[in-house]
Amino acid sequence: MKRLAYKPDALPPGARRLLYGGYCWLNRHAALLRTIGALLRRWPSIAGRFGLVVRARAVKSVLTRPRSFSNTSHAPNLVAGDYLIAMDPGPVYHDDRALLDKRLKVLTVQVHADCEARQRLAGLPQSRNSVSFDLIDDYLMWIVHRAIEPVFGTAAGNVAEGSQVAVGDPGLQRQYLLETRYVAGQLLAGSISTLDVQRRAEACAGALRARIKGVIGHIRSAWGLPPSYPSADIERNAVGLAWIAHAVTVQSGALVVQELLRHPEVYRALRSKAAAIGAPNVWNHVDFRKSVHNHVLELMRFRPIFPLLVRDVPRDTVLETGGQKDAPCAGGKSVVMLSIAALFDPAAVADSRRFCPHRDWGTDEDLRWLMFGYGDRRCPARKYAVDILTSALIGLLTLPELRLAHGDGKAIKYTGPLMSRMRMRFA
Amino acid sequence: MVKIVRQQMICIIAPDWRGGVQLSKSDHYALHRLFLDVGVVHFASIALLPPMAGAQLPSLMLELVVEEGLRPYDLLSRLVNHPRGALRSLYRGYLSSHASQKASELNRQLLERLMSWQHIADGGFVGARDRSVQQIKEEKKLLEQARIEARVLKATHGKDRASFALALARWAFGDSRFEWAAEAAPRSYWREKGASIIAKVVAAVIVLWLALLWLIGFLARSAACFDTWLWNRSNPAVQSVFGAVSDASGWLLGVSCRFVLALIVVSFALWVFFVALPALFAFFRRWLDSLVRELDRPTETWSSLSTYLAVWLVGLPLVLAGLWSVVTYTFWPQYFKDVVAQWIPAGPGWKQLLIGGLAILVLIGIGAIFYRFNSLLQKFSAWFYHPHEDDIERAQQVHPSIEESEARLVRGTAHMISLTDMRSPHGWSAWWTCRSLRIVTFLGRVLFTESRLGNAPGIHFGHWHIIDNGRRLLFCSNYDGDFGGYLDDFINGASIGTTLFWRWTKLKPRAPAAPDQPGVAKPRAFPPTRFLVFRGVKCELKFKTYARDSMLPHLYRFDACRLTIDEINRATVLRNALFGERNHGNDDLIMRVIES
Repeated sequence: MKRLAYKPDALPPGARRLLYGGYCWLNRHAALLRTIGALLRRWPSIAGRFGLVVRARAVKSVLTRPRSFSNTSHAPNLVAGDYLIAMDPGPVYHDDRALLDKRLKVLTVQVHADCEARQRLAGLPQSRNSVSFDLIDDYLMWIVHRAIEPVFGTAAGNVAEGSQVAVGDPGLQRQYLLETRYVAGQLLAGSISTLDVQRRAEACAGALRARIKGVIGHIRSAWGLPPSYPSADIERNAVGLAWIAHAVTVQSGALVVQELLRHPEVYRALRSKAAAIGAPNVWNHVDFRKSVHNHVLELMRFRPIFPLLVRDVPRDTVLETGGQKDAPCAGGKSVVMLSIAALFDPAAVADSRRFCPHRDWGTDEDLRWLMFGYGDRRCPARKYAVDILTSALIGLLTLPELRLAHGDGKAIKYTGPLMSRMRMRFA
Repeated sequence: MVKIVRQQMICIIAPDWRGGVQLSKSDHYALHRLFLDVGVVHFASIALLPPMAGAQLPSLMLELVVEEGLRPYDLLSRLVNHPRGALRSLYRGYLSSHASQKASELNRQLLERLMSWQHIADGGFVGARDRSVQQIKEEKKLLEQARIEARVLKATHGKDRASFALALARWAFGDSRFEWAAEAAPRSYWREKGASIIAKVVAAVIVLWLALLWLIGFLARSAACFDTWLWNRSNPAVQSVFGAVSDASGWLLGVSCRFVLALIVVSFALWVFFVALPALFAFFRRWLDSLVRELDRPTETWSSLSTYLAVWLVGLPLVLAGLWSVVTYTFWPQYFKDVVAQWIPAGPGWKQLLIGGLAILVLIGIGAIFYRFNSLLQKFSAWFYHPHEDDIERAQQVHPSIEESEARLVRGTAHMISLTDMRSPHGWSAWWTCRSLRIVTFLGRVLFTESRLGNAPGIHFGHWHIIDNGRRLLFCSNYDGDFGGYLDDFINGASIGTTLFWRWTKLKPRAPAAPDQPGVAKPRAFPPTRFLVFRGVKCELKFKTYARDSMLPHLYRFDACRLTIDEINRATVLRNALFGERNHGNDDLIMRVIES
């Protein structure tokens, strides 16, 4: 647990805003990152000298050597306290991972996501003249929440409302989801974010911890843990589970839709398929679901939520660059992986620049999921996340054609690197 | 840059308060638990503000002093959405509550209202900078435990400072409770090396600017020469463009150089007048002190009046002449030279030297006559310098509710709430006050970074809010010691700033906010000031009675750490010394902190 989170700004006035603004801007412009990645891929050895990893083989190599390239790089960004994602392998990591795997097994995300998506769609205005709606606040946020809240079992309502007795107040649940969004937002670039962004995340992290602490008894019994199981361990895992899954999946969903709108022919083809199948059957049509699932993965390849990933280098080592020469890596430094460059590496992905959801990945199937990490430390909930996004996208495909609602101000509003609003309207 | 300071101190002023004078015990407890749980509030207080003229009901003021960097919306959102609902309970009278209404709806309503009532400080000063509530508490624990351990270690290592410090450091490193302290206490940019970096950047910018101007001119001239050489003939159009660029850069370079030179000369002259001469000549130092003293003099005397007039007659023309010289020399150097040449007597150098020597002798002679005159006419001198009694009509009487409030805080950090009215015209007074407060806040942020505002120590958080559409000035302060000592610190340590931002206020008659709270029976004015920043608070009795009469008692008070600034600083020093490198300096610091 972080004991002293707050630190005053040691940079000159304006410098941090510039740095963070630049990072966020770069993060939003995936095409630019892909271009930079393509450039660096030509000289991987030189990029490696500067701690940049760009080729698919090199990225895979880094991600499969967690002891040489440590996940502790995430630690400064975890404002709500330590969690699996920033731990080095050890007893605590293994215990927490076992608990997480156990909790994930209870999930049946497709059922819940489909059900919530249908409900949300029913509530959306569906005429051409109707007002716009917010894809994040009115749709994705709730679908993801309903799909993953069973991870808390019978305590789900208590956690979401922060009370001993859950009364089904959506306002309180929304507050909980906002808290988790700001905490998760720090994961992307927390340590370089501006002081106000950091402080907001810390305030939300404080609220989240207090919320979990207040219902720790409910969580213990819902998870079937004995009284001897330390409360601090339950709290760490519950807090981590609360923030890490939801916001990242929602952001991925928003990015998937944003990218889909940039490929109108793909969007139209999918919509016509959905229309051909018909509204009631579209949810259970195996081939269609499989197709949308592939589309989601391909869209995520174009817009991964973590286009840049950092890993700490605890001791001197050699970085496999994927080029002719490897690069030495000094202990105490860190390396930056352009996972977006690796996902477009022509050496690993055939015809990588083409949007091709049904590409045959062959033996490189794991590379297809690179946006979730690689090797043992990849995201354990990746399949659930893609299933949820598949359900959400199927729901959107049943609607009339959608566009970004540019009319009333900016359609997309960002809070740091994350989208906080994505207004849509019917074309 | 100062907004980050201003946001740390927020006052929420809820109008038309109908909730009575006393907060219930449950409200007290709920608020206390709320602020402890949230963990970012240093101080909080609640008080009733008397109604404005024409209004019937008082306002409820909630003062929140919080950690750096939190935006009001984020803070209030955190407080309002706290599961205990303490703020909902406090402001229940303002919420349209129906039995069917959900908690989230009430929270939303309340948050909207609080955001519309909140005022971030128009100016403020933070004493114990760069520390969170949690850090202060943890460092306090470290200090307490280190003192306990030191008592044990004294028996074995008491004779040698280095071995004692080493043993204490080993203990601290070995104790897992203090792992967090291994990292040096964080310091913000302005407390670390900001000022020196900025000075270097300014110097670099000036040099680069001059170099750039020269380079542009040089390149233009070179290009013109190259053009002539290349074509073996002069192209008038090209030559005129390059000539214009060269002339413009030359003119800008000249203006910039002369401006820098003028600034250097003015700075040097000021340094000679205010630093070198006082250091070299005691009589000059005494004269300068006497000048400031007379300008600050609280009472009307002939000496202070004559000094005041003399500054108008001599000082103002000198300042205007200085400004004229800088501007003229910068933009019209030839005109400046011509004017100055007219004033320099024509003649050989020895004559000018003689005239200068004579002028100095005449000045010394005048001074000697005055000195002699002064000692000969003791009676006249006494009359000239005699201070009248301050025109305070009554002995200071403090309202019992204020005394009661102060008595409750006797073991903690003292607290003051002062409410004054802006002088007419309000817009003008509010604008000037606001500008003054911004300057004070900026200086506090950039220069006074080590817990002292000017020479005034002991201020945790002092903040000013211009409220009620610029009609009233609210001042809240959390400080160490007692009220008299606190105002003495202002009078002796930060008189210029204090006078500057209080001089546009007065006290209008006002009814008390509640029957047992203080009102203002007779109108009062802030003590008169001279040249904006002199006198004012130096009229000690007037100022203290003015400040006393403007005070309001608090109904609720929260103090997260209950430590003085010195204690906070000592704990941080111990942390850095214990976990820093072992050397004589750190060993000495450890001993001093442990023994203090």
